[in-house]
Amino acid sequence: MTIDFYWRLPSHGCHGSLRDTAYDRGDWSPIGPRNVAPGLDRNGEDDGFRYIDHLAAIAKAAESVGFLGGLIPSFPNTDDPWVISPLLARETRAFRFMIAFQPGFLNPVHAARMSASLQRATGGRTVFNIITGGGGPSQLWWGDGFSHDDRYGRTTEFLDVFKGVWGGDRFSYDGRFYQVRDGGLSSLLAREEIPEIWFSGSSDAALESAARHADYYLSWLEPFDQLADKFRRVKERTAALGGEQKCAVRVDLVARPTEEEAWAEVRAGFESLGPERRQQARGGPTDSVGAARQQALRPSEATRYEDLIVAPNLWGGFSLLRGGPALGIVGSYAQCAARLDELIARGTDAFILAGTPHLEEAYRIGEEVLPLLGHKARVLLQAAE
Amino acid sequence: MTIRVYWQLDVAEDAARSEPGARQSGLFRDVRPSTLNRYDYYAQVAQAAAQTAFDGLFVPHRPQSDDSNIVVAAIAREAPRLSLIPEFPASAGSAVYAAKQAVSFQRQTHERLGWAIADAGEAAERARDGDHVPEEQVHARVEEFLTVARGVHAERPFSFAGAHFEVEGGGFHEPLNRVAFPKVFLQGESEEALALSARAADVHLFAAAPLSRLGGLAGTLDGLALREGRSIELGLVQPVLAREDAGDARRDAARAGLPDTAIAGSYAEVAERLAESAASGFRHFVLAAPSSLEEAYRIGQHVLPRFRALTERVAATA
Repeated sequence: MTIDFYWRLPSHGCHGSLRDTAYDRGDWSPIGPRNVAPGLDRNGEDDGFRYIDHLAAIAKAAESVGFLGGLIPSFPNTDDPWVISPLLARETRAFRFMIAFQPGFLNPVHAARMSASLQRATGGRTVFNIITGGGGPSQLWWGDGFSHDDRYGRTTEFLDVFKGVWGGDRFSYDGRFYQVRDGGLSSLLAREEIPEIWFSGSSDAALESAARHADYYLSWLEPFDQLADKFRRVKERTAALGGEQKCAVRVDLVARPTEEEAWAEVRAGFESLGPERRQQARGGPTDSVGAARQQALRPSEATRYEDLIVAPNLWGGFSLLRGGPALGIVGSYAQCAARLDELIARGTDAFILAGTPHLEEAYRIGEEVLPLLGHKARVLLQAAE
Repeated sequence: MTIRVYWQLDVAEDAARSEPGARQSGLFRDVRPSTLNRYDYYAQVAQAAAQTAFDGLFVPHRPQSDDSNIVVAAIAREAPRLSLIPEFPASAGSAVYAAKQAVSFQRQTHERLGWAIADAGEAAERARDGDHVPEEQVHARVEEFLTVARGVHAERPFSFAGAHFEVEGGGFHEPLNRVAFPKVFLQGESEEALALSARAADVHLFAAAPLSRLGGLAGTLDGLALREGRSIELGLVQPVLAREDAGDARRDAARAGLPDTAIAGSYAEVAERLAESAASGFRHFVLAAPSSLEEAYRIGQHVLPRFRALTERVAATA
């Protein structure tokens, strides 16, 4: 058994360090002399680089240390993964582009053509992270007025059609959200592989939809018991429907040579926060069950970074330091590897890892943490024998 | 007034060229990996157009082949100066999402994107594509698509409730809203198409036709645009075949099965014919010929310099 490790392309800018909430990589904060891609030359003029140049560097770092590819997130204020992926297709060789998108925003037949074209451009390096939840005010921002459970029904139909037209000509479909008559990709496009599909979503409606179409079920990190329980339920439900589901975790790491150094980094980040920033990190109303499960950690009420240590090497305050999930792993290289091993032992088949800054940490985690994996699993195996 | 000349990259033409699936195994030792593929050819055409001083690349919507938006993004970083104009239908998806992809592209490519909205096609074709917009709403849908896409780019909060698209409290934040919206190219000769362009196009692209006919259509468009308080730039999609010798051009044109509206002739003749269109007010020229790479070099090297010299003379005497 091998485990798939993905990295992450920060499509929303990147911090140079966890100690600083300014996006000094990219143009999401006002551009100053410290910014890279884009930046200012020594005369204060635009240096000609664009953020894609920085993303290219991260993708190349990740592929060179052995990550399979990277997740490219999609939120209202990100650059779009359907644009980033083809822009970088021809200057990367092995890197797989995991495109996060909401299927409701694309016509499934058109999406199938785009995907097959991207498969042709990349030699089959397209992966999907299908997002259906989110919800709340931001769904209307996107121009999408469907209710939470309707959106999962639509996602299921989207993938029915997407896979149906890919399967050949004269495909017809009469669904609630989509209807197709005699459709189908040309043979040129249809001979490409359908991208691997990663699914997110913690609600019952999400699990139902995932069982039908997903190759991987993706979750943010949660306390290990809770996560193992969730993965067990997902695998059981899929098995009951006659399918098989692999499970994946997306998690940030702060990995340093020693545990003390790792916590010192977290502490410095935490202590750099003003009260306003902590309030912002509280997050808005959402109908995403996954986001609600994370908000239950309540990092915005902590006064010391230690208050947010929820288990050995697990810290629940990451959402204070950057957007995204609250819970992450903090420790020495060996401890980080041991926690990942533990997750593998408890049903995790794949990972999306990340660290700040994404470029340098791709090298650090690829070179220092990943090679240590499997030691603990071997010890456990031996003990069991 | 500036003249812009684009080369057409038709992804469905020369379909076997650089296609790994079309390789013949046989006598010669072939070490080409499958990663050497059709996109290398697209990049070649883009570089040919860039190096011979075209202003941009126009990629028509070809449902049987590669998606135009994926193609232009895949070659954008290797052809750093060219404008890139993919053609796609308004049925592709949400207008907000299309606009978001457009601004992402603009941000990463120094604002080189154009948008050409493709004809929606016949009803059966639309049904194959999962598109069930009624015939009489095809143009209204394009207009809503552009209204919403431009709206979320230009305003925040932006709300809109139409028959085809809906958004509430939309609009891009910094830094996505710092780039220009792509120039919009619309096409068609029907009354509805011209009226739509009058309201929503930046450029109207006419299919090649005799100048007398084009003049009439352009006049109609001008009139409609005037009533909207707008002015639409005129463009032409013009098949061309140019050779050093006019006789060779006519021979090769017959061989290539070019449409009647193609301009076939010597370099000087083709340049003169194009200059006549420019003198009639056309500013955007999408030039097209089969064997896109070779012809891009030929036209770019021999016809464009003559055409530009002629149009500069016209501009100087005007």
